[in-house]
Amino acid sequence: MKPANAAANLASVVFLKIQEFARRPAQEQARLRAQLEAVVAVVTADLRPAGWIALDAADGIAIAVLDDPEGALRLAQRSLTAAAAGLPLSVGVNHGAVQITSGGRGTDGMTGDGIAVAASVAEFAASTRVLISRSFRDALAEASPPLDAGLSPAGVFTDAGLRTHELFFPDKSAAGRKQRRLIAAGVAAAVVIVGTGIGARAASGGHQKVFDATMGKVGMSAKQRESWLRGLREKVGFKP
Amino acid sequence: MTKKKPQLAQLGRYKITGELGRGAMGVVYKGEDPALDRTVALKTVILSDDAAGKDEYKKRFFLEAKAAGRLSHPQVITVYDFGQEGDTAYMAMEFLKGKELRTRMQEGSISVPEAVHIAEQVAEGLGYAHEHGVVHRDVKPSNIMLLPHDKVKIMDFGIARMRASDHKTSTGLVLGTPKYMSPEQVSGSPVDHRSDIFSLGVVLYEMLTHTKLFQGEDTPQIFHSVANFQPPPPSRVNSEVPPMLDFVVERALKKDPSVRYQDAFELAADLRSALSELVDREAAAAGEKQRDRDTTKTMKLDADSLRPVFPAPTAAAIGSDTRLPMSLRFECSNAIERLTNPTRSDRKRLTRAPHPVGLVRRIWREPGKRLLFLSILAAALVGSAIAVV
Repeated sequence: MKPANAAANLASVVFLKIQEFARRPAQEQARLRAQLEAVVAVVTADLRPAGWIALDAADGIAIAVLDDPEGALRLAQRSLTAAAAGLPLSVGVNHGAVQITSGGRGTDGMTGDGIAVAASVAEFAASTRVLISRSFRDALAEASPPLDAGLSPAGVFTDAGLRTHELFFPDKSAAGRKQRRLIAAGVAAAVVIVGTGIGARAASGGHQKVFDATMGKVGMSAKQRESWLRGLREKVGFKP
Repeated sequence: MTKKKPQLAQLGRYKITGELGRGAMGVVYKGEDPALDRTVALKTVILSDDAAGKDEYKKRFFLEAKAAGRLSHPQVITVYDFGQEGDTAYMAMEFLKGKELRTRMQEGSISVPEAVHIAEQVAEGLGYAHEHGVVHRDVKPSNIMLLPHDKVKIMDFGIARMRASDHKTSTGLVLGTPKYMSPEQVSGSPVDHRSDIFSLGVVLYEMLTHTKLFQGEDTPQIFHSVANFQPPPPSRVNSEVPPMLDFVVERALKKDPSVRYQDAFELAADLRSALSELVDREAAAAGEKQRDRDTTKTMKLDADSLRPVFPAPTAAAIGSDTRLPMSLRFECSNAIERLTNPTRSDRKRLTRAPHPVGLVRRIWREPGKRLLFLSILAAALVGSAIAVV
């Protein structure tokens, strides 16, 4: 076996694993395998033809997506729709090194940490779930910054080789939650900054002067101002 | 079956009329039963010279012959009688007019449906024997007889136990033919009916792929191969094999008996399903051929023969240095070409590790962060205006 290309390439690897595959009868295995191949044919249709490579595993299929993390995430999520057709899939997604290996005529294959980690991640995923590694999240953030906001932490997992993986899962509400948090932070920051401006003005000129100037700016006469203040005191029950 | 001049004239009540073959244990003769006017095959075993060993050997031979004699099934050779004549123990069996599977495999490749049909019948026969507490221990092509009308019979039930001296290892005695032995036979562990299922899996694999599965220059090498070699799926060696058979063979050839087929009938059922799938496929292909007879087509050359011939591991077994074979079902040559002969831009794009995304880029690309930034900016302007103006 020799590497076909000395430089290791990076790819997003989507590992589609059929749950409990080894325990199923051969007839069911064949049916599930055929179903999985049909699913892969459908979900890869919107990827560029030169952008993905399908690899066989005994209990699933790994798809190495080149230079398109967003496409890889879409592929992973779309494959789960197959669960509705009775295909118990778990999906692991990773971004890492892959390398074409050629052992001579007719023995092309692919190896690399990118595939190994995707397989480990798929092992952790429950049926009909997608789990995503930290490195894929980073690649996704770089390629399409808003999309990584849609991933929530799933926890830290340790594989059989005692390697820890920080994993995430696609969470539809995560982006909305983050958006709401940002809006709240924006409003709070605006209030604080405007308040700081008012405070600075009051500190420099005295609060009565600032109040009078502000009221003057909103177009209240001295009589109207006195009447409005009296009404406000009565409303809140303030007695000076 | 060749007929040679016999050295013996009589064995018990049987008149020997010819020699059918010679094996490790003794000679197989053709004989006549004068009482029933029936042709029989007489399998002989030379008993040990050592008196203690002789008694033990004889006892085991008769025990096995008795067990085999209880079996009555269309796929199992019938044992009529057994006895002893001097230093020779013999077993009178049904005389079969047919061809050994080994000979058939040597003559030419067996079609996939034929191979499956043979294996299915053998599995049925084994299932019956296992149900009756008899384990064959030496399932191999030369012990499978192909009869007219596509019938199959398994021969030499229980005989393997008699060949204790054939293969000895440091861990103890092993019985069987090395290339068709199960891993538990090779390691000298206790053997049960699942060992026969493994051996049948080897026979099926060889019929489907027309190759030898476990190879080696000597017995230890073969043993090592049996215990460790993970064979590629048969469909990768022979593209005519449907995927379902890959799963059947894979399960039959599991090294760990607890995850192998637990029952030969279960294997037979899966083979029947595969056979019906094959028959349907052939019928569909025949229909298509009929339709296309008068048309011309541009054919894409089958690239399967150039495809990988190594097994695909499970997700749990994949490490950084584990090679996954390219899938045969999808056309990925363009992407492979991109990796093997990348253009300048591809070389840069495909080898570059992702960098952390900077704040400016995030503000520019993410609407939420952009909104936050703009509102802070506006607030800062308003605050400054209030403070200064």
